[in-house]
Amino acid sequence: MVRARALSAVARRVLAALAEGGWRHGYDLCREAEVKSGTLYPLLIRWEAQGYLSAEWRESEGAARPPRHVYRLTPAGVRLAAENPAVEPDPAPAGRPA
Amino acid sequence: MNRLSALLLRVARALLPPKLARWGQAAAAELLFIPCPPARLRFALGCLCWAAGAALSARLSRLQATRPEPPMSRLPNDQRATGLLCALAATGLGLLYMRLAGAPASYLMINVGALICGLLGLAIVSLAEQRGHLPAGPLNLALGALILAVAVWGAEADGVARWLNLGGLVVQPSLVVLPLMLGLFARAPGWTAAGGLLVAALGLALQPDRAMAGALAAGLLALVLVRPGRPALLALLGAGAAFAVTLAAPDPSPAVPFVDRILYSAFDVHPLAGVAVVAGSVLLIAPALLFWRPGPGAVVFGACWAAIVLAAALGNYPTPLVGYSGSAIVGYLLSLILLPRRARRPAAELEAPARASGDPEPPALYAAA
Repeated sequence: MVRARALSAVARRVLAALAEGGWRHGYDLCREAEVKSGTLYPLLIRWEAQGYLSAEWRESEGAARPPRHVYRLTPAGVRLAAENPAVEPDPAPAGRPA
Repeated sequence: MNRLSALLLRVARALLPPKLARWGQAAAAELLFIPCPPARLRFALGCLCWAAGAALSARLSRLQATRPEPPMSRLPNDQRATGLLCALAATGLGLLYMRLAGAPASYLMINVGALICGLLGLAIVSLAEQRGHLPAGPLNLALGALILAVAVWGAEADGVARWLNLGGLVVQPSLVVLPLMLGLFARAPGWTAAGGLLVAALGLALQPDRAMAGALAAGLLALVLVRPGRPALLALLGAGAAFAVTLAAPDPSPAVPFVDRILYSAFDVHPLAGVAVVAGSVLLIAPALLFWRPGPGAVVFGACWAAIVLAAALGNYPTPLVGYSGSAIVGYLLSLILLPRRARRPAAELEAPARASGDPEPPALYAAA
């Protein structure tokens, strides 16, 4: 039996950012999920291959700018995001130095 | 800074395997929409790390999906991959030694950083090799000039000038580039590349550096023995003369803790530290010893690193990989291009399948030994 691997906290944050709806850009996801580009793209690639993510090229608004890659969760991806909500970091215990 | 970001992303795109090219293009397009230059740089650096990891992963996957092993080969048949594993293991053993010996944490971090830089450098050099962008002549001349320039204008200590101070980080360029230069020359032993080695030999004589001059002479002697040629012989004469000069010149450099004299002192620190240092040093030469009838590149590789280890055992010279020296780690990884991706096998057994599979190894490394 294939067992699904638990998603990391970073992956959950990216999923949560994607789950807000609409097409999203790579850099926006980096900022919103506070994740490095080197972590974001492998996640996007994996999710697209697994059918959780749709990716396509969209013309950008500026005339001299190239098309951008945009991303959106598929229905399966929305379910995955619902099953793996973002985890809030634990607050530091009281009395412990920061 | 914007140019640097764009350059890093170009390198990242070049490293990515073809199946991920679309994603590299996506990241490159995204870079243009990031308004803040430092954020651009961080984005590009992240992409570069991702691309380097993806390239390494794709390469390892290719290695696993190779054709069936020939019956005679029980040993791993990829010398370069073996060299890479030895480098990782030796660096790890070096970290263990330094930890046991109480080296500052910054030393360990610098060695780890050098390992990452070396892996990236090896990926870039391997890519350039695959695409035929490693001209031995011009590169050897440029790198030889660098070693000579260090002798004239480099950072000096106790009358010896071997180092470059890069904003507080002191590196030894000869340790980084000389094994690579030997590798380039072993692949294409022409007159221009030999000229580069002669310039390097002059630089090593002026610095003076017995260890690296000895490594150059040992590597060239090995090459002349397995594949004689006039350019190699001329370079060997120059390297031999440089080595003689360094032997005659005084070398007052004192032993530096965690860098020099480690082979002597490691067992005093802890038996485990001693074993780590000795095992790590043996691992450096293992890629040249593990294979049946090694080719010229592997012989030069083994001679060069054996000479560097021997110099570290005999004098106050850096003990490569197992001691504190980022230059040696980067230099070792870059020199792995001396090793063929596939071990040499008897021609009769190898010929048909190797040609059928389009083995990308340059013919120079498989020339008659």
